[in-house]
Amino acid sequence: MLDRSRKPIDPITFAVLKSAFESIVDDMAYTVMRTARSPIVRDVLDYSATMCDAKGRILAQAKTVALHLGAVPDAMEALQRHYADDLHPGDVIIFNDPYDGGMHLPDIFMFKPIFDGPRHIGYSVVICHHCDVGGRVPGSNASDSTEIFQEGLRIPPLKLFDKGVRNKTLFDIITKNVRLPDLVIGDLEAQLATCALGEREFLRLTDKYGADMVEGFLAEFLDYGERLARGTFSTWPDGAYSFTDYIDGDGFDEAPIPIHVTITVKGDQIGVDFEGSSPQVKGAINSTLSFVKSATYLAVRCVLDPDVPNNAGLYRCIDVSAPKGTLLNPEFPAPVAARALTGYRVVDTVLGALAAIVPERVVAAGEGGNSVVCLGGYDKQTREPFIVVDMINGALGARAGKDGIDAVTNPSQNMSNMPVEIMEATYPLMIEEYGLREDSCGAGRTRGGLGVVRQYRLMAEEAVMQLRADRYAHAPYGLFGGKPGAPSRNILSVDSDPQLLSSKVTRTVYKGTVIRHEQAGGGGYGDPLARPPEAVLEDVLDGKVSTAYAREGFGVVVEAGSLDLAATTALRQRMAGAGA
Amino acid sequence: MTTTRLERSARMARIGVDIGGTFTDLVLADGQGSVFHRKVASTPAAPEQAVLEGVAAIVADAGLSPADVAEVVHGTTVGSNTLLQKVGAATGLITTRGFRDVLEIGRLRTPSMFDLQWEKPAPLVARRHRKEVAERIMADGTVLVPLDEAGLIAAAEELVAAGITSLALCFLNSYRNPVHERRAELLLAERFPQVRVTSSISVLPEAKEYERTSTTVVNAYVRPVLEAYLTRLEQGLSDVGVSAPLLVCNSNGALASSLTAREKPVFFISSGRAAGVVGGSRLGEALEIKDLVVFDMGGTTASASLVQNGELSRVSEYEFRAGISTPSRFIKAGGYMMSVPTVDVAEVGSGAGSIAYVDQGGLMRVGPVSAGADPGPACYGIGGTRPTVTDANLLLGYLPATLAGGSRALSVDASRAAIARDLADPFGLSPEDAASGVRDVVNANMARAIRAVTVERGVDPRDFTLVAIGGSGPVHAADIARQLSMPRVLVPASPGVFTAMGMLAGDVERYFIAPFPRRAPDFSAVEAEEAFRALEADARTALAGEDIDPQLMSIAREADMRFRGQEMSLSVPYVADAEGLQAAFRAAYEAIYSYCPSDVPEVVSLRVIGRGTRPGKLDFRAARASDAGETSPIATRRVYFGTDQGFVETPVYDRRRCPAALTGPAIIEGADSTVVVPPGARAEADARANLLITLA
Repeated sequence: MLDRSRKPIDPITFAVLKSAFESIVDDMAYTVMRTARSPIVRDVLDYSATMCDAKGRILAQAKTVALHLGAVPDAMEALQRHYADDLHPGDVIIFNDPYDGGMHLPDIFMFKPIFDGPRHIGYSVVICHHCDVGGRVPGSNASDSTEIFQEGLRIPPLKLFDKGVRNKTLFDIITKNVRLPDLVIGDLEAQLATCALGEREFLRLTDKYGADMVEGFLAEFLDYGERLARGTFSTWPDGAYSFTDYIDGDGFDEAPIPIHVTITVKGDQIGVDFEGSSPQVKGAINSTLSFVKSATYLAVRCVLDPDVPNNAGLYRCIDVSAPKGTLLNPEFPAPVAARALTGYRVVDTVLGALAAIVPERVVAAGEGGNSVVCLGGYDKQTREPFIVVDMINGALGARAGKDGIDAVTNPSQNMSNMPVEIMEATYPLMIEEYGLREDSCGAGRTRGGLGVVRQYRLMAEEAVMQLRADRYAHAPYGLFGGKPGAPSRNILSVDSDPQLLSSKVTRTVYKGTVIRHEQAGGGGYGDPLARPPEAVLEDVLDGKVSTAYAREGFGVVVEAGSLDLAATTALRQRMAGAGA
Repeated sequence: MTTTRLERSARMARIGVDIGGTFTDLVLADGQGSVFHRKVASTPAAPEQAVLEGVAAIVADAGLSPADVAEVVHGTTVGSNTLLQKVGAATGLITTRGFRDVLEIGRLRTPSMFDLQWEKPAPLVARRHRKEVAERIMADGTVLVPLDEAGLIAAAEELVAAGITSLALCFLNSYRNPVHERRAELLLAERFPQVRVTSSISVLPEAKEYERTSTTVVNAYVRPVLEAYLTRLEQGLSDVGVSAPLLVCNSNGALASSLTAREKPVFFISSGRAAGVVGGSRLGEALEIKDLVVFDMGGTTASASLVQNGELSRVSEYEFRAGISTPSRFIKAGGYMMSVPTVDVAEVGSGAGSIAYVDQGGLMRVGPVSAGADPGPACYGIGGTRPTVTDANLLLGYLPATLAGGSRALSVDASRAAIARDLADPFGLSPEDAASGVRDVVNANMARAIRAVTVERGVDPRDFTLVAIGGSGPVHAADIARQLSMPRVLVPASPGVFTAMGMLAGDVERYFIAPFPRRAPDFSAVEAEEAFRALEADARTALAGEDIDPQLMSIAREADMRFRGQEMSLSVPYVADAEGLQAAFRAAYEAIYSYCPSDVPEVVSLRVIGRGTRPGKLDFRAARASDAGETSPIATRRVYFGTDQGFVETPVYDRRRCPAALTGPAIIEGADSTVVVPPGARAEADARANLLITLA
């Protein structure tokens, strides 16, 4: 499989170029952050930046949303379909249509082809999650849409700039179809600035090393990734490894939606097949196969050595398949807006199957992906629209040798959070609590990470609220005797009367309503009764674990801030006996 | 006392002290044009001991008495070591109800992707020592819930009973209305006089609760430690007869009184690191070179910093991380965040001791693991067996066969063996080609730090001169400059103690910022003038408080601007009309991003920089003749200059007896560093013994 047609590149030049490309995408990521206008991009960092060769193969990727990047190859196919012979210096192409290269409508891809004289040598690529692209619900992210036409403006691959000329028509159509045109156009400008910077730096590199080096570098870069991946896969025992995880429901129906995977290891190649997963569903959590591939590569990559690049060299060693017409390979016009959730669950499911192969490298399930809280409406006096798109992260599941992580991004993303003070200054909202969720960690020899709690009070007259949570009925799984983390909860209080909601909700709320999301905690790893009592005591002293949960979950007795070792031993013996 | 402050200082000595991991460097300028250097072994357990020993020695070297010292300027690593070793005060935190976990939650990101084994660093204040009180200020500054004073005292009592000696205080939205924090600070100071209290608005009156909380907590955590250290140091100085004021270098490269450092230590965490950059800019000024990149290479790390048009490049936040930082400013993760003005230094984990190896995929890697001083490079023969950058340099002939100062003989054979075994054999290369590869790779890594402060800022490094400092900087600078197409390398007279020198060249600086949110059409120069005057008055008062003579004060005005919706702003020199200001901003924006949006920018805030010059500030223009005498080479040796040229017979000069001009190849050996002049490059020494290398 190694590409033999390439021009050779010496190991030193290879190392130098690898560093140079990494440096460029780093510059690009920083540029998006500095120039973007909407909080979802500039604060939460829901975007990604990458540099590709002329065939769209990734040369380097920034430390941004990891899940986006595996979808670049399919995006590139769509681009080629439309513009194979029609790319010119000064062109900029954008699109978001999930059925034509995109993932879901809010993620707008931007590709800027880069030319060295007449020769097309690569692309700057920037993908941003836009705060709104129209459709029936503010934020364009609802899980209860039933067809893509409800989800907002569909943009097939179109030229936003044609040989350097601004496409006024396209700009105008976007402006008229989104709720917050200033922010959307502003973020597109940020993508443009970033693509331009990537182009400038790429050309500086080709000036120095010649345009041919790109080919030589890429061939070696892919081979390097492939060599590392095959080296690892060949140490894995041949066989088939299955796992099933669930999504709670699609927003219409609460019936569990299974995702089933079978990983087949054969020599230095692995197959990842999703046969047995749910058929396509009515709600918007269907996920394109490109995104499923992206999630699969990511999960596998997470259990490899740190040096392995997440590039097409790795992808060569992994065959991903899912039957047509299923949740993981839906047919037009299925809605897909909330497909990120399905991506997270694919990652969890694949890691669950990998646990049988590399138990020391996986984690128990984490919070299950960020929960999304969208609130949109209009200021009563000014009629100015507002849209809050808040993403709540996260907890890492327990690991073989150490606890999970309390409050951390999902590993699929590397997202940040929106500062409370920025939210309160920007939106008609008050945040009443942002903290760790006590007792949410799954018990185990090592415990899961704690999820977070975020509580909002609406200060505007009314707003459409859209909540997307999961891990409500199917808590994050534990491994090897570890217990599941606490399931998530959505609580709505009107006039201090709390009411438990379902995991996915779209409804209108009014001034003074309090919305509370309690996120799931990470699963535990190993027998909780084997956890050192001192570690449990530390958590009790920090108020992360209550004395009641210390007893029930870990069999550890803490009285007045100290361990009762005799009582702990007795309790643990009793629990072990009951469990046996 | 009959002489004025100015007269007294002008004829007395100033001492700069930089504490490093191995050596404490001292520089004394006697006010008569003579500069003395000294290195003493650092005493990490009690760093002031090395300082005191060094001060006594260098005063004697200069033939002065302790009473002749006008001031001591100090860069201290006490702040950063306190964070690194986690030996700060037992610290408590009091927050608004519902927000005690803001510190621990942080900004959620991780420094690398796909890493399920990452460890999130423990917060400086454990959850059990974080308490909440009832109070609430809204985003517009109105009070929704009054401060529960009894609850506050009760919370503090619990913390004090638990052994807390330093308290941080951070309430939500206090940047809009500080009334509750001020009141709480007062109550706590009255009730617990033995406890240090740091309120968030006293260190960072700005939005974003995590950044403000973290900055406040770092301040509280470091404060008692730095205070104790400075007390010991001042007492020690006074005991040896030095009664001169002690100034401390802050993270922004400026000087401040030790009193300020005691109260707001968070501004002094990278004290010292910035001084080399200040020195570089002053040296550049003296030589009329305004655009520089200061490159500092030590044993485990290398760093780069930009000086553009004579101005240092600065950032508004800085994250302290254990271990090695990346040059990426994009990652906000896993460190202790401080939103304080800091000289923009990009650091990479590459240094002379970095270990080279081949990874599983067959890629040559250098660092970030370093052999350090122990077990050291293979050539030291004291236990290290893995090849390092120093081994590559030795094998290729760049380094002399003995360490600087002749303290240790180095084994070329040991270097060759290590390189052959770990690198050359796996690649099928000769040891020399493999060693050359080590240099290429480490140079590419270090070039990344330079790119981070140039390219990422939209600055073309080709217009800049590379200033090489640190023990190893001048060994690599020419190659790195070539790689980035930088035309010139400047090696100061004493690159090894240059940071201490930079301290003597620093100014006192104070920054004052006022929010001034205006969309460009609503901007009024008259209103701005009023705001600037108020800021300037504050700046002058502050400088006077730092003992600066009004005649030696200068004031600069800047406007922070951005496009609507953006969070980060750019500072541009203030122009007193709306259109000119817009144009200046657009030009700056376009220069960085090669693209400028079409909408109208907005002003965010106005900023005043007050500078005060210390009398007796080191002037790099003051000529100091180098030793005249014999200028012929002390030896020749074979030095490897890349695959094209291979080994070239190269003359070796003593830095003190180096010709005024020479053409490479040449190796110039000094007491504290070796300078490599590649073939074809032209090196010229000026009257102050600075070497300017022009690359062919």
